[in-house]
Amino acid sequence: MAAPVKVKQPRQKAKGGTLERRNYYGILFCLPFVIAFLVFNVYPVFRTLQMSFMNYKGFGKETFIWFDNYKRAFGDKLFWSAFVNTLKMWGVNIVLQLGLALLLTIIFNDMKYRMRGLSIFRAIFYLPNLIACTSVAFLFKTLLDWQYGTMNQMLMGAGIISSPINWLTGEGLTAQMVVGVVGAWMWFGNSFIMLMAGVQGIDRSYFEAATLDGANRWQVFARITMPLLRPIMLYVAVTSLIGGLQLFDLPYLMSGTKGDPGRSLFTAVFYFYDMAFNKNQMGYAAALAFVLFLIIAVFCAIAFKLMNKKED
Amino acid sequence: MKKLIAMVLAVLMTLSLASCSNADNPGNSKAPENNSPAGGNDLTDSTGYKQYGKIVLWTLAKDLEQFADRYEEQTGCEVEVVVFDSADFQTKIMQTLGAKSKDVDVFVGEPQMLPNFYEAGFCADLSALDNEVKTRLVDYTYEAGCDSDGVLRAISYQACPGSVIYRRDLAQEVFGTDDPDEIGKLFSSFSTIEDTAAKLKEKGYTIFGDTGALRWFSISSNPWVRDGQIIVDQDRLDYFDCAVELYQKNYVAFAKEWSAPWYASMAGPLPQLADSDDVWGMDKDELMSEGQAGGDNITQVFSYVMPSWGALIVRDNAEGNKGKFGVCSGVCSFFGGGTFLTVNEFSQNKEAAQQFIEFCTLNDDTAQWWLEVSNGDVVNNKAVLEANKDFQNESFGNQNTYGFYAKEMEKIDYSLITGYDDACKEAFGAAVMSVQKGQQTKEEALKEFYTTVITTYPELSVPADAPVTLD
Repeated sequence: MAAPVKVKQPRQKAKGGTLERRNYYGILFCLPFVIAFLVFNVYPVFRTLQMSFMNYKGFGKETFIWFDNYKRAFGDKLFWSAFVNTLKMWGVNIVLQLGLALLLTIIFNDMKYRMRGLSIFRAIFYLPNLIACTSVAFLFKTLLDWQYGTMNQMLMGAGIISSPINWLTGEGLTAQMVVGVVGAWMWFGNSFIMLMAGVQGIDRSYFEAATLDGANRWQVFARITMPLLRPIMLYVAVTSLIGGLQLFDLPYLMSGTKGDPGRSLFTAVFYFYDMAFNKNQMGYAAALAFVLFLIIAVFCAIAFKLMNKKED
Repeated sequence: MKKLIAMVLAVLMTLSLASCSNADNPGNSKAPENNSPAGGNDLTDSTGYKQYGKIVLWTLAKDLEQFADRYEEQTGCEVEVVVFDSADFQTKIMQTLGAKSKDVDVFVGEPQMLPNFYEAGFCADLSALDNEVKTRLVDYTYEAGCDSDGVLRAISYQACPGSVIYRRDLAQEVFGTDDPDEIGKLFSSFSTIEDTAAKLKEKGYTIFGDTGALRWFSISSNPWVRDGQIIVDQDRLDYFDCAVELYQKNYVAFAKEWSAPWYASMAGPLPQLADSDDVWGMDKDELMSEGQAGGDNITQVFSYVMPSWGALIVRDNAEGNKGKFGVCSGVCSFFGGGTFLTVNEFSQNKEAAQQFIEFCTLNDDTAQWWLEVSNGDVVNNKAVLEANKDFQNESFGNQNTYGFYAKEMEKIDYSLITGYDDACKEAFGAAVMSVQKGQQTKEEALKEFYTTVITTYPELSVPADAPVTLD
């Protein structure tokens, strides 16, 4: 039996050279992003990690000190107090942010109200997200001014309060709540859009079936909408937590860059910013940044665990 | 062809990204024209100055624009002055010189910034001028210009000794004299300050705009940190008690420094405020109108504790009170601020830069010119201060203010200054404030002060004889 004859296929010669192969073009087009990502994201992360093991002021010599900065961070009362402040502000923020977004989602999805102009409202609710934080801080500082602020004038005019409330320069807790509320105003639009998308993703046949079975609006909401919306709500809460624990700009600007009253608006990020740029302890600030990263990672892991558990 | 165009576009995108990242970083930009050593030569003209190309100066103080103009007029050498906002300046210097930029030839610093600049290696060695600076300029400004090894790296044209700036007319009315030496006795200790405040209050006046005025006296006989230990001596405890008493007895006007009421208080009566008032939103003209209208709740501020530049602020805001102020000494001598010039270690025009600094700081004619042009700034040139010691300043009741400040600056002990001062003052001020407002007891507040400082600087410790013991 004759051996099969192998016919050698002539190789298709690429026109012009290697760069003309499609996959190389892909690499080339990705290059701007990859370079930017490496320079502005990856390098800073590794440099920060390296600095966190150094005694470094941000200038001069760097000395390797193993885990000393981390040991110090775990015993730093001021850092943990700043972290608690962050949690308080985030707590107020997330309750209002999610609550308001959920309320609006219910209203816009309720057949009874037949709300029109969803796209217009969505744009309006999302608008505060697009305003620069500096402008928001200035706006609310003006509105909440103790003496000349519109808020106090309105409340006093309506007879709700008899003397002006010192919103931002009085009690620490009041200032924290104010920052939480302003944050909620800024970000509820984003949550609303996500919750709306979540509701609209629920199969309409569930609602129709429930209605045919005689379920009232509350029962439909409690038994169908809420359970099916829970993953989205958890996602919103987790992303809000990640952002919330990194809260900096709003309290920084609203406290006049000092964290007052009584350091109550000092957040964790504010604290390590102060350490890095005012106290010239760049190495320690880098360690604090990584401690915060670890905390956020732990919180996220718990949240995802909860989310998966519910889905199961 | 299309593929070639696509490839070129991709390369352009990459390159444009790289160029964008450089755009905001002066450290990476090209050197200014004429900034190369070739831009000048070593010729010395008829004025005795060598001719150099353009140098670039980065500053916080607009004053130096006038110095640069005069330098150009007299030497023909060009200086490009770039003025920065004070809040951004230190960061800007750290970023730019951290990248070893050659684009800046001369830059300035205030005393609290200088140790960082020295340690970072940004300031060139100026020890060639050491002897001249040491003999011709005020001592504390020489010491502030030296690094931890005693090498001269920065030179100032100013001195900013402290003073109590007081109202002569109110002094006459309440104490029967406006003599600076006599009024100085009323401010010689924290206990006399409390007595003085009480007497002023009886007449409806307040001793200071705000208790923050006392912070200038927080370094009297001991540094904040010695041998790694935080020092809270009896003077500091007295300062604490005095600040609490002035606050709780309403001996101050609650017009915080730099707020509209504070400025308004220099010009005349104003309403007595409360600490809870948000002074930052107030209007100066409205307050002055209310003050002029009179009434039961009207007061006048008797004095301001500030460095010499503060006297110019008071003078410039005094309006109808111009000429009614005097200056005297307080609990201790102090200084605050001041612009120091230094040569960028990475500059390629060090000689040109040094010549400019010499012109600004070691030239008697320049010092005399600045004293006249600035209309009251205090220079640190001993010969010029001596020449003007009898100058009668109309804005301060014909007092010899230069003579007064010359004596004050001789008393400044620069060895009391440490790198921890700002953090200690801030934490101590917060402790004082919490007791003033009744939020904490003195013991709790002092404990918190120590905790804050040792948390910020773990290398520091609390001495065994501290007024409180940490848990």
